[in-house]
Amino acid sequence: MAKTLEQFTTECTSELQAKRDSSDGIYKQVNNERLPINDSDFAQMVIDCANYKLDVQDNGYIKARQLAYGSVQDQLDMQYWDSVNSTTTWADHIAKVKSDNPKPA
Amino acid sequence: MAGSIIQVATTTLTSATSNVTLTGIDTNDAYMVTGVGVGVETNIREVNMRVTKSGSAQSDSEYDYAYKGLVSNAVFYNVSAVNQAFIRWDSDLGTGTSELSNFIIYLYNFNSSSEYSFGTLEEVNVNHDEKASGKAGGFTHTVASASDGVNFQGESSSNLLTGTFTLYKIQS
Repeated sequence: MAKTLEQFTTECTSELQAKRDSSDGIYKQVNNERLPINDSDFAQMVIDCANYKLDVQDNGYIKARQLAYGSVQDQLDMQYWDSVNSTTTWADHIAKVKSDNPKPA
Repeated sequence: MAGSIIQVATTTLTSATSNVTLTGIDTNDAYMVTGVGVGVETNIREVNMRVTKSGSAQSDSEYDYAYKGLVSNAVFYNVSAVNQAFIRWDSDLGTGTSELSNFIIYLYNFNSSSEYSFGTLEEVNVNHDEKASGKAGGFTHTVASASDGVNFQGESSSNLLTGTFTLYKIQS
């Protein structure tokens, strides 16, 4: 089931707080000075983390499909040979890309 | 005297770091920021960017950008967006050998208090699929006030692990 931004925010707060409290801590580097992050930095990190997770959940399939479709040239070649041979290679390919990378419900 | 390139700030990461800030833009010259051997701690992450004003990274939704993604093993793709909270340089870096990003970003108009801040990017990397890729494009931060530097973060608040970041002034 798809999560909400609030749920991701809670998740990220927990993950990042654990990291901040660990011996590794969370640091930033400002003009070659290494500093522990402050509360404002932490709040921004939580926002960035939650927005990223929501974006991947909601839109990750778009990029995956773009990469998997192949070039327009290759697709036109498939369509040409489908028309010559009465096959469905291109349609099968597109259907497979879509089913392999489903749009979230 | 002819023009020159002057180093303004530089930093080299020696351990995991959430974000890197370089400041010192205080003239109307063009500036250039380079990243060499920039690596991430978590697989399939990239380096995002913000401008700074008075040293603070701006997370307002005022970034517009567009670029071409050049991939050695797949179809080239376009990325464009408006009103974003950061500039996303889509790299999908990995954690394997040489899965690093290297870039030059030219910065224009940053010191102007009455114009937007602009930048152009050239980048090459080896991504998490061990394939060469890169991008070319540009961005604007659509706020008419002076910016004094840049800030880089790992995507999704993941850490940056390696890299040397340097800000130069291109003195005319």
